[in-house]
Amino acid sequence: MLTLLANSLVLAQEVPAAEEPEGIDLLIPQTSELIAGILAFAIIFFFVWKWVLPAVNRTLEARREAITGQVTEAEKTREEAEKLLADYRKQIADARSEANAIVDDAKATAEGVKSDIVAKAQAEAQGITRKAREEAAAEMERATASVRSEIGSLSVELAQKATAGAMDASAHRALVEQFLEELDGMR
Amino acid sequence: MEQLILASGACDPAAEIICKPENVNELFEFTTPLFSIGPFDFTRTVILTFLAMFVVLAILYFGLRKPRVVPSKFGVMVESAVGFVRDDVAKGVIGPEGATYTPYLLAMFMFLLIANLFEVTPGINFPITARMAIPLFLSLMTWVIFVFLGFAKNGFRYVGDIVWPKSVPIGLRWLVGLIEFVSTFFLRPLTLAVRLFANMVAGHLMLTLLLVSGWVFMSSVGDIGVRSIIGVPWFAFGLGIFLFEIVVAVLQAYIFTLLSAVYIQSSIHPMH
Amino acid sequence: MTLEAADALKGAIALVGYGLAAVGPGIGIGIVVGNAIQAMARQPEAANMARTTMFLGIAFTEALALIGFVLFFIA
Repeated sequence: MLTLLANSLVLAQEVPAAEEPEGIDLLIPQTSELIAGILAFAIIFFFVWKWVLPAVNRTLEARREAITGQVTEAEKTREEAEKLLADYRKQIADARSEANAIVDDAKATAEGVKSDIVAKAQAEAQGITRKAREEAAAEMERATASVRSEIGSLSVELAQKATAGAMDASAHRALVEQFLEELDGMR
Repeated sequence: MEQLILASGACDPAAEIICKPENVNELFEFTTPLFSIGPFDFTRTVILTFLAMFVVLAILYFGLRKPRVVPSKFGVMVESAVGFVRDDVAKGVIGPEGATYTPYLLAMFMFLLIANLFEVTPGINFPITARMAIPLFLSLMTWVIFVFLGFAKNGFRYVGDIVWPKSVPIGLRWLVGLIEFVSTFFLRPLTLAVRLFANMVAGHLMLTLLLVSGWVFMSSVGDIGVRSIIGVPWFAFGLGIFLFEIVVAVLQAYIFTLLSAVYIQSSIHPMH
Repeated sequence: MTLEAADALKGAIALVGYGLAAVGPGIGIGIVVGNAIQAMARQPEAANMARTTMFLGIAFTEALALIGFVLFFIA
């Protein structure tokens, strides 16, 4: 088994000694391989030079543009939003002041109505009072007038009685007292 | 896996001397061309190289096809890879002027990453960077770039500063200068290429040894009886190494790119 | 020792050479990474720089082992 291993290991290393010119052959490139390598590398080099690096730069440029575009767009959107917000604020303020104006108006109206009603009521009350007074005054006048006419008629009646009876002192006195009683009874 | 087993197709664990390919290079060299166009041989490595190229192109193309604001998961991965090389490696190491070298470093990183990951891709299982061609070419490219930049930015003072460093005591200056000179102009490209190459060779060798041998042993129960149990720990260990090699593949691509960036940086701003 | 025998041993000697070449860098990388981890633990905000410097240090230290690797193939 050991010889087996040893022989297998020798695979790599013994040979250059056994066949002397072969060893250095590994270090000297074969012409066709060299040409192929040069050709392949030249093609890759020109491809990288003329296409790859410009492509990479283009990609970076596109990325940069996209990012700046997004940023400006975001800026625009923000500005729009701010404008919108200001608009809304203004509208709200307008609405509020309008509402205030309406309320004020209503208050003023109500105030006017109230004072009107009060004034009307007062006037009415005064009218009622005045009427009552006038009525009372008229009543009194009528009463006075009726008393006056009564007094006149009574006076006439009394005079008739006085002249009709004998006018003595006691009769006189009884007549006056009768008259006064009549007066009292009229009251 | 398939290819690995193919590579050891001649193996017979029941025989006395077993599983020994005539040459270790068999694991790495696919010299017989599958087909040829004129003098150009399409060996397996060549085809895999072009496959790696198409994979890289496809990944980059489909990951970055259209500039999307919210990328897909795949797009995020590709973008983070590109961003990593551009920001952490190119700009992080070289500095603000590193953007100029981003295409080179990015192409290098992606190519090496896919080439290295072929090591652990089932069905391919061969890192094309375990052949010297690609590491050597890329390290020589880096060498040309940093030497050229050194002269372009600093004139001949570039070499002067390296061989006659002012910050070192005069007695040691010639020695440090010599070491620095050799290190900068010869060892840098060599080690850059060999580091990647050696890591991939070692990884491929280990995976081949452990997985293939383990598999061959395990599957020859009838021939060698109990001895086939040897295959189990080998295969299990091979699976552990398999996971480790994924890390190595990514790390080596990163280190190669990083060191290229560092070498370029050291030519633009030489240390005084 | 005959020439043939020396020739047969060449690969084994190259292997030993590579092993020796790997010792120093092994120790060196250990020191580099250890100190880099200390630096990262002490100043996590400088971790990125420490990591880059660590890879650089590893790269320089590793050079000898890689040269050994190449020499192993050349020998």
